[in-house]
Amino acid sequence: MGDTSKKYWTGLEELNETPEFVQSRDKEFPQELPVEDFLSDKRLDSVTTDRRDFLKFLGFGLGAVTLAACESPVVKSIPYVVKPEETTPGIANYYASSYFDGHDFASVLVKTREGRPIHINGNKQYGVAGGRTNARINASVLSLYDSARLQEPMKNGSRSDWETVDGDIKTAIQKATGAGKSVRVLSSSVNSPSMMAAISGLGESMIEAGGSEEQFGHVQYDAISASGILEANEESFGEAFLPDYNFGKAKTIVSVAADFLGEWLFSNEYMGDYARNRRPENGWMSNHFQFESLLSLTGTNADVRKPIKPSQEGLVVASIHNYIAKKAGASTVSVSTSEVDAMCATAAEKLWSDKGQSLMVAGSNNKGIQVLVNNINFMLGNYGSTIRTKSKLNLKKAKDSEIQDLIKEMNAGKVGVVIIADTNPAYALPNADEFKSALEKVETRVAVSQYNDETASLCNYHAPSHHYLESWNDYMIKSNYLALAQPTIGKLYNTRQLGASLLAWSGQDADYHAFIQNVWENNIPAPAEAASFNDRWYRAVHDGGMKLAGHEMDMSEFGGDLSGAASAINAIKSSGEYELVVYAKAGIGDGRHANNPWLQELPDPITKMTWDNYVTMAPADVRSNGYNEYLGEQNPATVVVLNVNGKEMKLPVVAVPGQKPGTLGVALGYGRGANGERIGKAAFQTGTYGGYIEDENGNPKPIGVNAYPMMTRAGGNMICCNYGVSISGTDGTYPMATTQTHHTIMDRHAVLRETDLNTFNTGDREKFNPETKLVFHGAPHDAYEHDHDHGDGHDHDHDHHDHKVHVKHIDLWNDHPVENVGHRWGMSIDLNACIGCGACVVSCHSENNVPIVGKDEIRRARDMHWLRIDRYFSSDMNHERGDEEGLGTIDTYRKMEIPSENPKVVHMPMMCQHCNHAPCETVCPVAATTHSNEGLNQMAYNRCIGTRYCANNCPYKVRRFNWFNYMGYKKFREVNPSQDATGRMVLNPDVTVRARGVMEKCSMCVQRIQAGKLEAKKAGQPVQDGAIQTACAEACPTNAITFGDVNDKKSKVRKNHESIRGYYALEEIGTRPNIAYMVKVRNEQESTEA
Amino acid sequence: MMHHPSRVLPYIPTIFILFFSVMFAGSLSAQPDGEKIFRGYCASCHQVHKDMTGPALAGTRERWEDREDLLYQWIVNPAAVKEKNDPYVNELLAKWEPRAGLMTAQPLTTEEITAVLDYIDATPPPAPKVADAPGAGADDGRAAADDGVPVFFLALIGLVLLIIILSLSSVRRALSGAVKERDGKEEEESTSYMAEIRAWMWKNKVVTSLIVIFFIVMGAVDVWDRLMAVGVFEGYEPEQPIAFNHTLHAGELEIDCQYCHSSAADSKHAGIPSANVCMNCHVAIDEGRSEEGTQEIAKIYHAVGWDKDERMYTGQEHPIAWVKVHNLPDHAFFSHAQHVSVAGLECQTCHGPVDEEYTVGKQFAPLTMGWCIDCHNNSAIDLNSSEYYAEMHRRFVEDERGREMLKKYLEDGSVSVAEMGGWECAKCHY
Repeated sequence: MGDTSKKYWTGLEELNETPEFVQSRDKEFPQELPVEDFLSDKRLDSVTTDRRDFLKFLGFGLGAVTLAACESPVVKSIPYVVKPEETTPGIANYYASSYFDGHDFASVLVKTREGRPIHINGNKQYGVAGGRTNARINASVLSLYDSARLQEPMKNGSRSDWETVDGDIKTAIQKATGAGKSVRVLSSSVNSPSMMAAISGLGESMIEAGGSEEQFGHVQYDAISASGILEANEESFGEAFLPDYNFGKAKTIVSVAADFLGEWLFSNEYMGDYARNRRPENGWMSNHFQFESLLSLTGTNADVRKPIKPSQEGLVVASIHNYIAKKAGASTVSVSTSEVDAMCATAAEKLWSDKGQSLMVAGSNNKGIQVLVNNINFMLGNYGSTIRTKSKLNLKKAKDSEIQDLIKEMNAGKVGVVIIADTNPAYALPNADEFKSALEKVETRVAVSQYNDETASLCNYHAPSHHYLESWNDYMIKSNYLALAQPTIGKLYNTRQLGASLLAWSGQDADYHAFIQNVWENNIPAPAEAASFNDRWYRAVHDGGMKLAGHEMDMSEFGGDLSGAASAINAIKSSGEYELVVYAKAGIGDGRHANNPWLQELPDPITKMTWDNYVTMAPADVRSNGYNEYLGEQNPATVVVLNVNGKEMKLPVVAVPGQKPGTLGVALGYGRGANGERIGKAAFQTGTYGGYIEDENGNPKPIGVNAYPMMTRAGGNMICCNYGVSISGTDGTYPMATTQTHHTIMDRHAVLRETDLNTFNTGDREKFNPETKLVFHGAPHDAYEHDHDHGDGHDHDHDHHDHKVHVKHIDLWNDHPVENVGHRWGMSIDLNACIGCGACVVSCHSENNVPIVGKDEIRRARDMHWLRIDRYFSSDMNHERGDEEGLGTIDTYRKMEIPSENPKVVHMPMMCQHCNHAPCETVCPVAATTHSNEGLNQMAYNRCIGTRYCANNCPYKVRRFNWFNYMGYKKFREVNPSQDATGRMVLNPDVTVRARGVMEKCSMCVQRIQAGKLEAKKAGQPVQDGAIQTACAEACPTNAITFGDVNDKKSKVRKNHESIRGYYALEEIGTRPNIAYMVKVRNEQESTEA
Repeated sequence: MMHHPSRVLPYIPTIFILFFSVMFAGSLSAQPDGEKIFRGYCASCHQVHKDMTGPALAGTRERWEDREDLLYQWIVNPAAVKEKNDPYVNELLAKWEPRAGLMTAQPLTTEEITAVLDYIDATPPPAPKVADAPGAGADDGRAAADDGVPVFFLALIGLVLLIIILSLSSVRRALSGAVKERDGKEEEESTSYMAEIRAWMWKNKVVTSLIVIFFIVMGAVDVWDRLMAVGVFEGYEPEQPIAFNHTLHAGELEIDCQYCHSSAADSKHAGIPSANVCMNCHVAIDEGRSEEGTQEIAKIYHAVGWDKDERMYTGQEHPIAWVKVHNLPDHAFFSHAQHVSVAGLECQTCHGPVDEEYTVGKQFAPLTMGWCIDCHNNSAIDLNSSEYYAEMHRRFVEDERGREMLKKYLEDGSVSVAEMGGWECAKCHY
C-alpha cells in the first residue's frame, strides 16, 4: 500500500524541531508521578481511616445498597378524571389521516395508545393509492416527539407570544400595503383547497385594506421539483399538470433515469402497482427497461438495465422517440442518437408492441426531454390507459422559475413581507446564497416552520407550526381525491398550524377545522350520491378522505414543440472528467428528515451505508484511481475533493457496481444545520463516546455535505445532473458505517434462488426450485421409505450411499409438534415483489422499540435491526466459467465475490426465520431462547445472561446483542430517541425495552399475535387469515411479506409455503424455518443484447 | 314496569338512572312496599330528610295538606299540574326547577303513592352519626399477635431450659469435683465448659454431626426462603389517597366489579376507574355511613371538581394519584381481558375476597411466576367453549400426531392451559 518511506509530521513544531517540541518529545511523560512524596507524607500516619476501615465501610455500603434494593419503589397510578369515551387504557385507537410534506404523500392510519401516536400504518383499506407508505412516512411519527421543534413563537430570536407576533405581522402587512410593497407567501407545493383559500384570504384582506392585486402573491417552491414535467405538459396539452400514471396497467415500462420505485413523484403508489405485475403466477410479467447512470432502487428491479451517462438521457429518449415515430408515421426529431440507438432498440420495440399498455417515463427536469416523453406516450396511445386522463396528480406544483423570480423581486427591494411556510430554500436551493442575500432585503421575514432551520434562522418572526399529527388539513392529492388529515394528539408545544396562522393574519376569527369544513361545504362539489354535509364530512374523517367526480381531460392533441425539444437535448454537452447525478435516498429524501435517527440509521437500499452521504463511483473508476474499493470497519473510504460549480467539496467514495463509469452520484438531504442551526439532536456527527464532533466554529458538524449546490439549471429548471465535474485529488480517509460488507451470494443458492420466466413457465420445479436432498447414511428411517421405494428392503447397507433423502426427513432432534397442530405462525416473502425500499425496516423499529445505535456502533457491526434487507449483486463468475478459465475452486469462489459491472440485484428481507429446529435454542445454556408450540422462536430477555452462543450458532445471523444500555449511556444520548423525555413517548408500551447484555431478535411481532388471538377468543371465532399482521407485512407497499397461520389450510401464507416458488433459506442444514421465500423470477426471455 | 328514562333531568347521567332501574325494578312486589317503591322510583333524586336533586320529602303530606289530590297528580304527571298554576306548586317550581328541571313523571298507582308517603312519614330523622371504624387495623393486629405468641413462648421455654441445663451441669461439676476430692484423688485441673462440650462432642460424634447438619439445613432453608421472598410483595397494602371501601361497594351493595373496572373485559388493564365513574352514583350519594365516609366522598368531589352545594361541576379537576398495588415486572405481560373475558375467572381468584374483607387495595396473590404457572398447569380449557377452541380441537383430531398429543393431554381428564401453550415464554414475555 503506497510508499512506506513517507514521513508524517504531527505539526509544524515537529518539522521545525522547536526546542519546546524536542523537550516534550524526549520526555514522554511530562511529570514524574509523586509516588515517593505521597508515601513519605507524615500526615498519612495520622489518618484514622485505615485499609480495614475502608473495607468495612465498603462492605456496609454494599450491604445497605443491597438491602435498599429489595424495596420496590412506590408506583403511582393516575387514572383519567373524566375518561374520554373512546379511550380504553391498554387498547390502541386508529385514526385515518394523511401525510403530505411537499415531497411524499400517503393516506395513513395512525395508531395511538392512551392518546399518544406511536406507529404509522398505511390506510390500505380506504386510502388513495392503496394507502401505501414508504420508510420516511413510517418514520414521521418520531419527529412529532422531537424536542428540538420550535416550542414558542419568537420575535427577533427571543421568546414572544402569539399576540405580539400576530400584531407585528399584521402591522407589517398593513405597512407594506400602504407603502406599495408586496407580501409574498413562500411555501412548498400546496394542493390543499383550504390552504389555498386561507392564502387567498390573506390576499383579499390586503386588497380590502387598499392594496392592489399584484401586491400579494403565493410562490411555491419544491426542493426536488417536477418543474420539467409541468412545463412539458403545459406545452403539450395546455395545462401544467403532473400525469397520474397507472403502472398497474403497463406491460412494458421504460424509464430513463426516473427512480419511480424510490423517489420519483408518487413512488409509494407506483411500487404496489408495479409489483402486482411482477408475479409470474399471473402468467405474464411486465417488462421493465431502465436507463440510468447510478444504480437506483428502480434500476435494481429492472429486467433490463442500461447504464448511461447523464448527458445521454436526452439521446436515449430521442432515440426511442424516433423509433416509435417511424413506426407510427409521425415526424422524428433531429438529434444524433447513433451512440445509443443499439441499446434502445429492444426497449422501443417492446414499447411499440405493447402500445396502449406501455409506459415511458423520464426523471429529468429538462423540458425538452419531457416533451419527447409526452409525445412517445401520445404516439403509443398510453393516455387513457397507463396514464389516467380522468385525474391529475397534484403532488408537486412548483415551477422552479417562481422562486427565482421571487429572488429577483426581493433583490429589487419590492417585497415588504415574506412568509416562508414549511420550506427551506436557504438550504435546498442550488443558489441558496443568492436567496439568503435577497432575503435580507425584506423587512419582515416570517418563518412558519417546525424547526429553527437554515431558512427560519434568517427570519425575524417565528410562527412555529404543528406537526402533521397535530393538525387538521386537506389535500387534493389527485384531482379526483380529496384527502383529509386529522389531529391525533393535542399540540405538544405552543405552536399553531400554518392555516390557522394565515387566518389570524388576515383577520379572520375562525378556527382552521371549521374553516376546512366551510371550504368543503361551499367549494367542493359534492359527489352524485352525496348525503348531507355532516355525513360526508364524518365519512371523510373515518376514511381519511373522499373520492370526487373526476372529469375527463382532453388529451387528443399533442402540441409539444419537438424541434425545441431537440435543440434542448442537443444543448446537453458533457464538459468534464466526470458527470454527476444528485439523487434522493430512501431514508433522507430531500433532507427534511435529516434529524430523524430511524431514517439516518436505515441502510441505503443499494450501498447499505448509514449515517452518511458519499460519492458513488463505478468500481472500475474506483480501482483505476486507486481508491479503497471494499469498505468495512477497518477499511475506511477514500475522501476525494470534488470540483463542482466552482466549489470544492470533500466526500468519501463508495464503489457501486452497475454505475456507469465516468459518473458520480451524491445524495441530497445531507449537510443540514451546517451553521449550527438547531434542527434536531440526531442531525449531527457524534463522537465515539457521545457528544458532537465540532467544526472550527464550535458548531456540531453536520452529517455529510449538502449536494443541492451541485445541481445545474436548464431553461430555468433545476436539473439533478451536472455534466462537468472533476476530482482534484484525495484528502485522507473517512470511516463509513455499513450494514453489509459482502456483495454477492457466492454460489450459495441455498440462501437465494432465482430463475427466469421461461424456466419458471416450464412448471418444472426441479429446474428452478429443486427439493433439497441429502445423502443419508443413517439407519432405515420411516421417512426414508417415503422417498425411496425400497421393495423388499434388502441391500440396505449397499443402497444407502446411493440414495438421497429429502432433508425434511433427516432429524437430529425430536420434532417440535407444530405442524398441523395448533397455530404455526409463519411468513412468506416474495422476492419478486420485494423491491428493497426499506419501509418494513422502519416499521419494525417503530413497532418493536428497536434501539438506534449511531454510526460508530454500526461501523462495528453492532446494528440492532431485527429486520434487514440483504442486497446481493450477481457475479460474472460461476463454476463453469471457472473451469473453462482453469481457475481452482478457491480462486473461482474468490472471483465470485466480485460483482458484475452491471449486476442483477436481489433484495432479500432477512429476519429471524423461527426455525422449528433452531440452532440457537440448543446452545443456550440457560434456556432463554426456546420454541413455542406455535412455531415461534421465543426470546425471554430476563433469562438471557448474554453468552451470545445463540448469535454464533444462528446460520442467518439475525440475532442482535445489546452491547450497551442504549436508553442511558451517554454515547447514545444524541442518537437514541428513547434518551429524550419526549422522544421516548414513541415507544410501544406492549414491547419490552431491552436491557444491556441481552440478546434480541425478531419476535414475529408476538405482541400482535397475542393480541390477535385474544380478539379471536373474545369473539369466540377462529383467527381469521389476515386478521393478524406483523409490522413488516403491514408496512410492505408491495405486499411482498405475507404473515399468517401455516396450519390454517386456507391461509395465504400456507399457499405461498406450498407454492412451486416456495423455498426455505438454507434448507439443507435442516433448520426448518417458518419463513418461506419465493423464488425470484426475472423476465429475461426477451433478448437483452445491445 | 320500568320507567322510561327519556325525560331524565338533563344533568344526571343516564347510566345512573339505568343502573338504579335495573337494580330495583326486579324487586317490586304486588303488595305496595313503600320503602322499595321509594328506593326504586324516588331515591335517585330525593331523600327523606335531606335535599338532593329534589327537595327532602319529609313532611310532604303536611306541605300539600289542602291539595292532596294535586300531590298524587303531580307525582304521576308533573307537567299537567304545572299548567294548573297552583300557588304552592309555583313556589316549589320557582325554587327547584332552575336547579333540577321539572320532575320526571312516575308510573305509580294511587296505592303505591300512598305507600310511599306512609313510608316517608314513618322514617325517623337520622340519629347523629357514630364513627364507624373501617375495621381493618384490629384484624391485622390480632393476626400479628397470633403469629407472635408461640414464638415468644418457645423462646421463653428455651431460655428457661438453657438456664436449667447450665445450672444442672454446674451442679454436676461441683458434685463430681466433690466426689473426686472425697476419693482422695488429686483434683484435676478444672476443665472449662468448652473443653467439656468438646469432649462430649468427641464422644458422641453421630449425634453431633446430626445436630450440625440439622442447623445447616435449617439455615439454608431459611436463607432460601428469604431469597425467594425478595421482590415478592404479597400483602402489600399501601395507604391510598381515598379510603375506598371495596367491601361496601362490591360486597354489601353488590356492584359488579366490572361496573367500575370496565376495561378488564377488553384490555390488559383492569383500569382504576376514572372519577367520573364514581360520580354516576355519588352525584346523588354525598354522605357516607360515617363521618369518615363522607369525607372520603368529598375527596371524589374535589377530584372531579363537583360543587356539592351548588350541584354543578366547577371545571377544576384534580387527578387522584393512587398507589399502584399490583406491580408486575416490566418484562411480564398480563392481560385482564384474557383472564376475565376468555377464561371467565372471578376477580376474587387473584385479588382475594375484597367484597368480604375490607381493603382499598391489597396484593392478595404473590404474583410470582410460580404462582402464574401453577394456575396455568391446574386450569383446564374447555375445547368446546368457543369456535376458537373448537378449531384448535379440530386441528388436533385431524392430525395423527395431534390425536396422540390430545390423548396424552386428556390422561388427566382435561386439557390444561399449560398443555395449550400456557407455559411458553412468549405468552407473557416479549
